[in-house]
Amino acid sequence: MAQTKLQPDMEFVRELQAAGGDSLKKCFQCATCSVACPMSPANNPYPRKEMVWASWGLKDKLEKDIDIWLCHNCGNCADLCPRGARPADMMAAARNMVYKDLMKPSIIGKWMSSAKGLPFLFAIPAVLWLFVWWIMSLVNGGQWFPRAEDGRIVFGQIFYGDYTIDPIFMITFFGALFIILKGAMKLWQQLKPEGTLLLIGKDQPWYYHLYDLVLDEILLHKKFADCKSGPATGVKTPQRQLSHMLLFYSFCILAFVTAVVAGGHWLGKIWPAIAVHTPLPFFNPIKLAANLGAVMLLVGLGMLTVRRIRLNPKYQSSSFQDWYLLGLIWCIGLTGVLAQSFRLMDFAPPAFFIYYLHLVFVWMLFAYLPWSKLGHLVYRTTALIFARKYGRG
Amino acid sequence: MSNSILVVGGGFSGLTAAIEAAELGHDVYIVEKTPYLGGRVAQLSKYFPKLCPPSCGLEIQFQRIRKNPRIKFFTQAQLVALTGKKGNYTATVSVAPRYVAAHNVDFTLLASSLEGEKNNDFELGLAKEKPLYKSMPFAFPGRFVLAPEALSAADKAKLAGNKFINLAEEAKTVELNIGAIVVATGWQPYDVTKLTNLGAGSVKNCVSNMQVERMASPFGPTGGAIVRPTDKRTPANIAFVQCAGSRDQNHLDYCSYICCMATLKQCLYLAEQNSDIQITVYYIDLRTPGRYVKVLDKVKALPNVHFVKGKVANAVQAEGDTVSLQVEDAVRGEKLTVTYDMVVLATGMQPSLATEKLPFALPLDEDGFVAGGEEAGIFAAGCARMPLDVMRSAQSGTAAALKAVQTVKGR
Repeated sequence: MAQTKLQPDMEFVRELQAAGGDSLKKCFQCATCSVACPMSPANNPYPRKEMVWASWGLKDKLEKDIDIWLCHNCGNCADLCPRGARPADMMAAARNMVYKDLMKPSIIGKWMSSAKGLPFLFAIPAVLWLFVWWIMSLVNGGQWFPRAEDGRIVFGQIFYGDYTIDPIFMITFFGALFIILKGAMKLWQQLKPEGTLLLIGKDQPWYYHLYDLVLDEILLHKKFADCKSGPATGVKTPQRQLSHMLLFYSFCILAFVTAVVAGGHWLGKIWPAIAVHTPLPFFNPIKLAANLGAVMLLVGLGMLTVRRIRLNPKYQSSSFQDWYLLGLIWCIGLTGVLAQSFRLMDFAPPAFFIYYLHLVFVWMLFAYLPWSKLGHLVYRTTALIFARKYGRG
Repeated sequence: MSNSILVVGGGFSGLTAAIEAAELGHDVYIVEKTPYLGGRVAQLSKYFPKLCPPSCGLEIQFQRIRKNPRIKFFTQAQLVALTGKKGNYTATVSVAPRYVAAHNVDFTLLASSLEGEKNNDFELGLAKEKPLYKSMPFAFPGRFVLAPEALSAADKAKLAGNKFINLAEEAKTVELNIGAIVVATGWQPYDVTKLTNLGAGSVKNCVSNMQVERMASPFGPTGGAIVRPTDKRTPANIAFVQCAGSRDQNHLDYCSYICCMATLKQCLYLAEQNSDIQITVYYIDLRTPGRYVKVLDKVKALPNVHFVKGKVANAVQAEGDTVSLQVEDAVRGEKLTVTYDMVVLATGMQPSLATEKLPFALPLDEDGFVAGGEEAGIFAAGCARMPLDVMRSAQSGTAAALKAVQTVKGR
């Protein structure tokens, strides 16, 4: 029999531990976790095998593993784990490693993996928007906190939509979109086994499975409910289906509203009939939808944040990626509300400064999408399409 | 100052400690909570290392106690207070009433005529018993016990005139002057109702390993046949769930040391009773300390025993009162859902002191094992110290006796 020598990759193990899997070495391979997970398939179940791969630092095994994307992080495995090895955290850490390593420039992935990188992540848009601010202050006769002719505070004087915000954000958004879609294709290639795969039954194209996935899983977040069908753990599982769904739909609504407003603005220049002019009146359906989206965002975000704060560190904890995303969305929401408040209260310097921060945070959300946990909306979707196409999960 | 020694607990290690100290010339008092000496060993069908019935090893101990006037024991007794210091303690012992005459009257006929019934604690929930009972044929002391709370009105009337029964007997308090203490409070089977994912004790025909011992015992509730509690049928297939609550931070955070051996022993019982039975043992890893590995070899050689690496993490009731288990075979990487006629949870040992407190301060570790007290002349023996088999319990009893003797001698 051929012998294979297994060389543990300790560097990778340390990276995994830093990315949230710090207890993985406690695992003694009892396989409780594979049973605790009701979603884990009967054939080659997870996360026990991932735990042993993680202990040995088998990076390529974990990178190519479809199962880390089947996991919805409910924590049943961690609740029943006899050793406190926290398999759910290790699965999340393995996903964090994919966010970190999948796309170049890899330095961004590195910054995204610990609080040490935060100053760099913040500095890039901070300098960018400060530069814009400086240029526009020159346009405004050297005034950093200018006022309109009627004395009102108008953010557009500094951060003028057509020439600053829109082009920068369009480049950022479409750039990030390009990178993340390339990432999705790379992930697909990574997941695909070498050689040819025999498929039994009709081979459907990926978009067929995407349609199926949206209808079957994403619309109602069915998998979150499935998490409850496992063995009785005796531990109360917090509500995640509703909170994640609120956040998901609020993102959908807000993305739609933004698309309508931006599209109406730009296309309106060519075809005036569909032009949208802001500010919209309060009872305009688009405005109502925007406000509904904002409320849903706050409620969902609040619920998810409370859940993370309440996690018992004996069973589950949160990684930097988790807090980065939640924190960033909070920052965007809070600076948005505060900027508007200061503007209405007529405090020009804080109003402009907070609005500036708001732009910095929004830029961070879009620009770092391919390396952040939010990237899961593309990466996980890709993996789940893969799982459907090749019959797993 | 006193040269006497108090032994708390009349199980195998406590008896050994008491006898060894007495045979070295010290007065010894044994305080036992239950009505009989012998402890957990008395409940076993057979025990290691030689697979003899408990009557064998215990009988020798009981003889040594009978013949040694230096040993005094109190059953149905509890230590309620302790004052003084090393070398000169005053222990207050409360002795519950037994309600029967001091000599060994045979109440078998009278007991069978009573109406009342109570849960049989000795049979671990597998049987009921009359309120006038003797737990085992070789019981020591050989006296019956009366549980008046389980008597019907007619029973009470029937017993009222019996000159060997005194329903008015009251609890007694005894004060003892002693110099050292041996804590041999032993263990209890881990409470299965805490094992939520293994059915929390509510799945029919899913029993504990100690219940199997009682069934296998010739004087147990089934007369020695290991059968399904629901229909008394011999199981065609049976599974053992190892580490049921042991090595688990949510339950007992340590290895109970003995459950693997208990399971191997019970595989032998089962194979002997029914050569066609199919047995599957689900384990994380099998621990067979020292020469016990030979028992593993013996069991592995049986054609009807299968070992599967993987901890059972889900047990639910299935059709026909069978038990469905879910487990990942960690070697093959397959998640199995298998149904068995009967399932045995190999539950571990929890030190009694984890749930019951002594009336004096004694350092315990986080699991409830004794972790100190020697400077105060208090020595732990047996499973109060750590999970042990019978042989090692006896050794630790001797060790504690020697330390106690050295304490009262003043060296």
